[in-house]
Amino acid sequence: MTLRKLSDLKILLENKPVKRLVLAAAHDTQSLGAVLKAAANHIIQPILIGDEEEIKKLAGEGNHDLNGIRIINEPNIEKTSEMAVKMVHNREADVLMKGKVGTSTLLKHILNKSWGLRTGHLLSHFAIFEVKTYHKLIAVTDVAMNIAPNLKDKISIINNSVNCLNILGIDMPKVAVLGAVEMVNESMQATMDAALLSKMNQREQIKNCIIDGPLAFDNAISLESAIHKGIKSEVAGDTDLLLMPDIEVGNVLYKSLVFFARAKVASVILGAAAPIVLTSRSDSEQAKYDSLLLAAATAK
Amino acid sequence: MIKSLEQLAELVKDKKDKPKLAVTWAQDENTLGAVEKAARANMVDAYLYGDRARIESISSKLGLDIDLFKIQHVDNELEAAKETVRLVKSGEADILMKGLIGTDKFLKSVLDKERGLMKPKAVLSYVCAVDVPDYHKLLFITDTAVLPFPDLDQKVAMAEYAIEMAGRFGIKKPKVALIGASEKMTKHFQNAVDYAIMCKMAERGQISLCTMDGPLDIFLACDKKSVEIKGVDTPVGGDADILLFPTLESCNPFYKGLMLFGRGELAGMLMGTEVPVVLMSRSESEKSKFYCIALSCLMAGKNN
Repeated sequence: MTLRKLSDLKILLENKPVKRLVLAAAHDTQSLGAVLKAAANHIIQPILIGDEEEIKKLAGEGNHDLNGIRIINEPNIEKTSEMAVKMVHNREADVLMKGKVGTSTLLKHILNKSWGLRTGHLLSHFAIFEVKTYHKLIAVTDVAMNIAPNLKDKISIINNSVNCLNILGIDMPKVAVLGAVEMVNESMQATMDAALLSKMNQREQIKNCIIDGPLAFDNAISLESAIHKGIKSEVAGDTDLLLMPDIEVGNVLYKSLVFFARAKVASVILGAAAPIVLTSRSDSEQAKYDSLLLAAATAK
Repeated sequence: MIKSLEQLAELVKDKKDKPKLAVTWAQDENTLGAVEKAARANMVDAYLYGDRARIESISSKLGLDIDLFKIQHVDNELEAAKETVRLVKSGEADILMKGLIGTDKFLKSVLDKERGLMKPKAVLSYVCAVDVPDYHKLLFITDTAVLPFPDLDQKVAMAEYAIEMAGRFGIKKPKVALIGASEKMTKHFQNAVDYAIMCKMAERGQISLCTMDGPLDIFLACDKKSVEIKGVDTPVGGDADILLFPTLESCNPFYKGLMLFGRGELAGMLMGTEVPVVLMSRSESEKSKFYCIALSCLMAGKNN
């Protein structure tokens, strides 16, 4: 299956029960707006935890309909996080979303050993882009969560992302491990890790995907460029997932795709018991909405 | 393509422009026997540097045809080393061979930065072509003798040398198996890490043309049935031409096991030098010693 547009994700929701999303500290203009819009389009079924009075006020200001929507009144922000995480833990909700609460506060609860959302996997950020100049959606990881992943982390990050892409109907995603060059260079750890990841994939120690790397960005996304360089690769030019060497590269690529290439993006945190939506204030309305779409499509 | 060591020896015989072999401190029974055999087979012209009286007495004791030798008397082993190295370096001889001189002294002359025989920045290593009746083709193995714990760069050099040697035997795209205890990739084994990196380097053309895979155990490298049973997807597929070992201590016992229990014969030489250098263990069979000289003739390139 090939996904060309973020709106194609909606096809994956057809004929399936609407996923339940719990919004922690829901009295937040931006996230509340996105959630209510998604609810109106039957993308998700929201549960709002937060200051009820404030929620109603904000919904009114944004002309959103709260009819039939479950609200749990809890003005204490710390408490809203705990309650939201527990609801997901107890399978009363399928997706967790951050509202007016700090990321670190929410993460603390997510990582709680007795009632958090740990699965033994590393948490990682997964972003999927619709870029006009590429022939299909392209996923990028990790641009926001893991700062300088080591080899073991990279394996987890790939596994999280591949699992997600499998759920999205891409059976054997092509994974490009990015470097500055396509050659192995002992002075560049990213290229060394890429070689190891390729071998582990070849030995089926990393499954359900095809990994090649190091690939420079151009080789990864342009077949012409790969041919020009004489690279024989199943991945080159047809990449489904780009693995970033570190957060700096990832973050800059993410932002240049959005700002220079006018790409549309959806993102979600993977590796927990349920997908987590952690959009930031700088994300566009569209990005928030599409992230909910992605989370709903990814949720069990 | 040269498919056996016997064929190799036949191929390098009776050439018009046969190579000149310079032997350092030649008065050694083992060495003289092998050199005489090679000279008698019309493979090389033998230039012996050593104690003339000792060379003559050994030759007569062993019944060697002394007319096949051009003997140059020198007083001691260091002089012999200095003279023979100078001879090959200046192009007056084509192959250098160690006689009775200690290996460390011999190698010291070979490795000498100014007067020695190393190619610029080259790694010194050792490759053997092994002929075992139970394997369907020649097997090139490295490093049996020089590098105790090769690092990544040295392993790459070892692979390059083996590929070069296989090329001289007519194997254009050799299958290189990087040997480990298992085929699993784990970062806890430095060798496995090096191997994964090398495979990618080969894929990207950073290593000469070959089909490379590793880590592989010997079964997966050399036995198609094991590949089937284990279901490992490997391009080497039990049909390896080259086995690269992680350490000298794994490679050396492997080849000796093949010689002793597998009725194998070998031809080996140093690699990384400007001209072929023959250096062999005393316990090698008479045949293997002869094959070592034959190999050096092939690698000297004069007879191709």
